[in-house]
Amino acid sequence: MLLGVDVGGTHTDAVVIGDGGVLAFAKVVTRHDHLLSSVHEAIEKVIENISPEKIRRVNLSTTLTTNAIIENKIEEVGVIVSAGPGIDPGYYTMGKHFYNVEGEIDHRGSEIVLIDVKEVERVVRKSHKDGVRVFSAVTKFCTRNPLHENIIKDRIGDQANFVTMGHLLSGQLNFPRRIATAYFNSAVWRLYNDFADAIQSSIESHGITGDIHVLKADGGTIPMDYSRKTPVESILSGPAASVMGIVGLCNISGDSIILDIGGTSTDIAIFADGAPLVEREGIELSANPTLVRALKTSSIGIGGDSAIHLQDNRISVGPSRLGPAMADGGSVPTLIDALNYTGHSSYGHLEKSRAGIESIQAKSSMDAKSIAQSAIDYSVTMIYNEVQRIVESINQRPVYTIHELLSGKKVEPRHLYIMGGPANAMESLLSEKFNMKTEVPEHFRVANAIGAALARTTVEIELFADTEHCKLVIPNINVMKKISIDYTLDRAKEDAIEMLRDHLHAIGITDNEDDIEILDSSSFNMVRGFETTGQNIRVRCQVKPGVMHKYRDILKQC
Amino acid sequence: MLKAKKKLGIVFFPAFDWAISPTHPEREERLLYTQDQLNEEGIFDIEGIVEYKPDVATVEDIDRTHFCFPDVDHVTTESHLISAGGAIKSAKLVLEGEMDRSFALVRPPGHHAMKVVHGARGFCNINIEAVMIEYIREHYNVKRIAVVDTDCHHGDGTQDVYWHDPDVLYISMHQDGRTLYPGSGFMQETGGPNALGKTINIPLPPTTGDEGFNYVIDNVVMPILEDFNADIVINSAGQDNHYSDPITNMNFSAQGYARLNDHLNPDIAVLEGGYSIKGALPYINLGIVLAMAGVDYSYVREPDYKYKDLKQDPRITKYLKKMSEQVLRIYFRDSKDDTGKLMPGNYDVRKKDIFYDTDGIRESQIESIMVCEDCRGVLKIETMSSVNPLCLGVEIPINACERCISEGYRILNDGIEKERFTHVQLIDRVKKKYQRY
Repeated sequence: MLLGVDVGGTHTDAVVIGDGGVLAFAKVVTRHDHLLSSVHEAIEKVIENISPEKIRRVNLSTTLTTNAIIENKIEEVGVIVSAGPGIDPGYYTMGKHFYNVEGEIDHRGSEIVLIDVKEVERVVRKSHKDGVRVFSAVTKFCTRNPLHENIIKDRIGDQANFVTMGHLLSGQLNFPRRIATAYFNSAVWRLYNDFADAIQSSIESHGITGDIHVLKADGGTIPMDYSRKTPVESILSGPAASVMGIVGLCNISGDSIILDIGGTSTDIAIFADGAPLVEREGIELSANPTLVRALKTSSIGIGGDSAIHLQDNRISVGPSRLGPAMADGGSVPTLIDALNYTGHSSYGHLEKSRAGIESIQAKSSMDAKSIAQSAIDYSVTMIYNEVQRIVESINQRPVYTIHELLSGKKVEPRHLYIMGGPANAMESLLSEKFNMKTEVPEHFRVANAIGAALARTTVEIELFADTEHCKLVIPNINVMKKISIDYTLDRAKEDAIEMLRDHLHAIGITDNEDDIEILDSSSFNMVRGFETTGQNIRVRCQVKPGVMHKYRDILKQC
Repeated sequence: MLKAKKKLGIVFFPAFDWAISPTHPEREERLLYTQDQLNEEGIFDIEGIVEYKPDVATVEDIDRTHFCFPDVDHVTTESHLISAGGAIKSAKLVLEGEMDRSFALVRPPGHHAMKVVHGARGFCNINIEAVMIEYIREHYNVKRIAVVDTDCHHGDGTQDVYWHDPDVLYISMHQDGRTLYPGSGFMQETGGPNALGKTINIPLPPTTGDEGFNYVIDNVVMPILEDFNADIVINSAGQDNHYSDPITNMNFSAQGYARLNDHLNPDIAVLEGGYSIKGALPYINLGIVLAMAGVDYSYVREPDYKYKDLKQDPRITKYLKKMSEQVLRIYFRDSKDDTGKLMPGNYDVRKKDIFYDTDGIRESQIESIMVCEDCRGVLKIETMSSVNPLCLGVEIPINACERCISEGYRILNDGIEKERFTHVQLIDRVKKKYQRY
């Protein structure tokens, strides 16, 4: 059996999934000042009638790190960077203990200027004196050569409880994002580890002995023990939980759109060939772009509780929420009230919805029915336009080869999956507007917890090999090795897959090695003068986001 | 977070699957390190800098600009249509107001491609700036365009395309033609009879450095641009003036390139040559991008940059000062001069022999332009080459006068009837008719 827990903004949801499908679910109010108790309580409720020892695996999606960063309840970090030429790294200062030391590595990973070890030691001593106990070491092009980051960590030595090294976070090139990501990682390290300790003992106290994993924003999981070194990966996993829930509940194939219509907003995700699309760069947090991989989702301010506005005799909806719908005892009419009025739904106090819409009629020249209809049309159109915009931006994504430009695949969604409170009420309206087949999955109210429960491990790696330098590096799984000058792209692809598999085994994952895929690979002839001097090889591969096959099949039969 | 003062669109297309030949300077690897550097710098996270995909230029876009013999398909590949399409896309971004500035970081380049195309010369098949400019003039209400070519090689292709065009000012600064391919671009080359002074050449001595380039930009190019009063300014941004470039002899640096673009402030930049792909391009392109977006570029430099080795010889400084005065004199003399023209209504004829070094083609042509006071004048080119027997090209320019229109059709029909030509191409910019016979 699997236990999934999703700590959300309002509620904490938990489900248990077994051979018979969804066996139990529970919903408790989230206490932001004490997340542990919310998790503890939700688990307690959901396993009331279940033998805890049968739970093989617990997957947890939590807002702990996200909230800590947003509310700035984070630890001070000593950030030591070295940049070489380019944009002044001062523009990417994070925190109060930010130091730029001399040292330079170029785009091919060649050391141009040695790192100034004396200066590193000086700023470490200074930070330590200022009370700093966690550090981040980030150097430009460290993903091509992590030497300087390793030296910085070595010089910090036992003056820190923890050091984040940029190259272990991601193989992707992006120095400013790496600085922000490494900073956040160290800033939440202590908080996260304390939380992980508490969660582990809480779960054990329920008699559950299964493995504990945490959910990431890319819809995958990592073992909690492993995540203790990369806590930043647990940020913003909420939207991914819902998306993975849909993957578990529906048989998504081809290109599709997922809408999660909530109280204040609608979250949109896009699937291509049945798989959720991943953001090319990484997710943004507190206005800082990071390297944390995330599903491509977008949010617009239209939800069931979005207020209906009248201005210049025109009706609009959202993005403000001025309390719940009148049907729920609120004081301002909302989209739900409009849906109630037109008969698309019959939720809560219908007469209050009616009164609400009629109160707008009094201020306008329209009749009440047109007002309700306009509010619904407006909302549906806004959602539709946003989806069009996202699909267009996906299809306009830059490509770098003639082949991809002329024959590249376009995303053309044919199916629409809808969940969230007003899902049933809006299904036919959206179906008509999008002119697509729609589906509202059963159990969508706990899709987020189901998604958390079913999500599998994901990892992405980037291999970089330079046969002129006889070097191979896969930064984020800490692989550096010598290669011969006749190393080829084919061997690099095999090596990437094998090393990713080894990495999975090392962190205790054995169930999804068949899902390793090469995302892209290339090999460039390096020429100096008129002589070929070597090959510059890049391979990117991943274990893609997905749900446990076995349980997905069970859920779909239900 | 960094924010661009001027919104900059970058059309980045490195054509990672195209090369002239595996070890040719114009090969797959050329923009690889530039892409790595831009990505590592997080350029596309800077607010106001956006990356775009190129358009693909159509055959009509090429036919509007060039006489291609036997036709467009025979002298281009998909890569050329995409790099020209990249330039077109960057123009659209600016002219439609989506962006303030744009930079087409595309390959292959184009500034050695002339009006008539029989194949590739100087790594260029079609002139991507010219295709872009003609697209602009066909679709937007833009009259006066200035091209400042900062490639180290004289842009003899662009000069040839606009030799007779008074509405396109072409300024080329390049390594003196006595010391480098293509061996042209001297001060005396100032344009045809209808466009005198609208071609300006600034030949720079070998080892000219940052100081010299910036002196020429500030003291020659800017005053001329101010006088010409262009609606848009295009930088034909070759990067082979760099001190590490393998096929040239100049001492320009990434800082210098950034400052040049800062001062020149072009609306659109289009990448041309530049083959120091590892040691120079990543830093020059970064510098140009930052300068165009109005972002601080003071920390941009090459890993091996040493000012002391690149300091300009005082004799060059002195030479440039004298030459600058001369270039200005030539511009203000020729561009204001109406005397010395032939009588209107007569043809001015040039005979040209052109060598296509990349494809090894030899071409001979006779180019005749109608001297006209009412329009740019109808253009007739008779051309034969080692790959094509005698061909005819007739161009009726934008806003052609009645006389030039009817004269254009007269020579076209004459050419078709006499059956002397294997291929005949018409460019009629008035009726937007682009046809082959």
